[in-house]
Amino acid sequence: MTSKLQTVEKFYTLTIFILGVCVVYFAWPYISKMVVILVFAFLITTILLPAVDTLERKINSRLFSTFFVMSGVLILVFGFLFGFASGMFQQSSEFYFRLTEENYVNDLNSMYESTVSSLPGFSSMSDGETPQLAERIQTFISGFIQQILSIAKSGVNFIFLTAIILVFTFILLVEYHHFRRTLVALVPNKYFEVGVRIIHNIEMQMSRYLTGQFLAASSVAILSFIGLFILNLYGANLTLIVFISIIAGLSNLIPMVGPFVGMVPAVLIAIMNNLGSESALSHLMFNLVPSPFFIFDIILMFVIVQQIDNNFITPVLVGESVGLHPMLVMISLFIGGTVVGPLGMLFAVPTAGVIKVISQEVVFLVRYAHLL
Amino acid sequence: MKALWENLFAHWYKQENPTKTVIKQIPVFHELTNKQIREIENLVHKRRYKSGETVFKQHAPGEGMFIILSGKIKIFTEDKQKTKKTLALLGNGEFFGELSLLDSDTRSATAIAHEDCLMLAFLRPDLQSLSKRSPETGNKILFNLAKIISARLRKTSEEITETSSGSV
Repeated sequence: MTSKLQTVEKFYTLTIFILGVCVVYFAWPYISKMVVILVFAFLITTILLPAVDTLERKINSRLFSTFFVMSGVLILVFGFLFGFASGMFQQSSEFYFRLTEENYVNDLNSMYESTVSSLPGFSSMSDGETPQLAERIQTFISGFIQQILSIAKSGVNFIFLTAIILVFTFILLVEYHHFRRTLVALVPNKYFEVGVRIIHNIEMQMSRYLTGQFLAASSVAILSFIGLFILNLYGANLTLIVFISIIAGLSNLIPMVGPFVGMVPAVLIAIMNNLGSESALSHLMFNLVPSPFFIFDIILMFVIVQQIDNNFITPVLVGESVGLHPMLVMISLFIGGTVVGPLGMLFAVPTAGVIKVISQEVVFLVRYAHLL
Repeated sequence: MKALWENLFAHWYKQENPTKTVIKQIPVFHELTNKQIREIENLVHKRRYKSGETVFKQHAPGEGMFIILSGKIKIFTEDKQKTKKTLALLGNGEFFGELSLLDSDTRSATAIAHEDCLMLAFLRPDLQSLSKRSPETGNKILFNLAKIISARLRKTSEEITETSSGSV
């Protein structure tokens, strides 16, 4: 009789599980955005939690300690963004001033004309094709305006999402221990001790992963700074190198796209600072390869930093931090990238870490199932 | 006038939370300040067990200690011949399983709710995160646990000495 009851219980559990999976599958398009927001809010909460806990013990108020920590972080982030934006603005206005004052436009035009004349397709273009070209330019301009509008729309969406993530993070930080206890309260008595252990291990895993990521980002920032500093010694004339290095470190957190994003400000600043300098224009990398404005030197430097990071720093720091073998880290990055894309690569390692914790606990549960 | 005064400062006359009172009495939490006790109060898990429900089984891996707020818990061992030997019947304010806060060794006995129980659970992961967040509180608890073990060891040594001197 008991075994019959157990079979029925198992059947119902399985049915409820399958139904749950189906509901999630069909509701996923509607809830996916909210899940991503919650995941980001949870990650930021995990980073800021120790600071909030420490401050709470000092000032005796969870609400105020959360407020102070979040305000501090926001001031730092906006201070950095403002510092970088104002530096870039100053750089651009100086560049624009030099561009209008001196004869760079003519230089560029003559460079363009010489390029066009050297291309047979352009030189053989008849006069009758000119209106077609004008139409093309018109289409290009309207397309460009549409693109700007879509970028503005994405910008507004981004600001809105960031605001929601910040609000969720604030709530999670204030109520973290309460939410945790509520989650534990939902665990049946039979699995209570194991449940608490799993939650604790997942928290530890996430915390270790984030520490690893932070260390990897810091290493990339420091290596980029050293690289840019060395390039400056050879006359690259790069400014704002601290900002460029921090951006390179932060963008490195986003796999694949990140390294290229980190490169862009350095290349732009090199062009802006060196335009008009004959020596920079005729610079040869290793006295061999032409590298106008040190562009290829900068790209090579970032490629070297990326190689050091991908092959040594990330597998060792991030792999060790989640207790995964470097080989498993690479496999999970590959699977995450193939299945979900860049975002999948960002979450691949912590997901692999969480799966590892759950698998270990399942093995533990199976071993001690008769004692629960 | 007295009534008005008491009404205005009602929270001054408010009775202490029973959970806090029980926590204060447990030797593991001795010498903790009110602030630290509040921290523990926010960390422990309140669990209800129905009469006859198993809290943990002998040989199962232990994760922490339980404090009884109400009800009774029966602690017993079972040998290979399935013979049960009751070790204790614990009631309000008593605690068990405190050594599991230090190691993940298996439980030496089974604990079953003798009647409907309300208990507080303080587990090793909670102690670990508390030690990380508030090392002073964590140290005090570990020191208290060391004192409990030391007292038990002393008692066992005395018993062994008495037994051996009796046999000579």
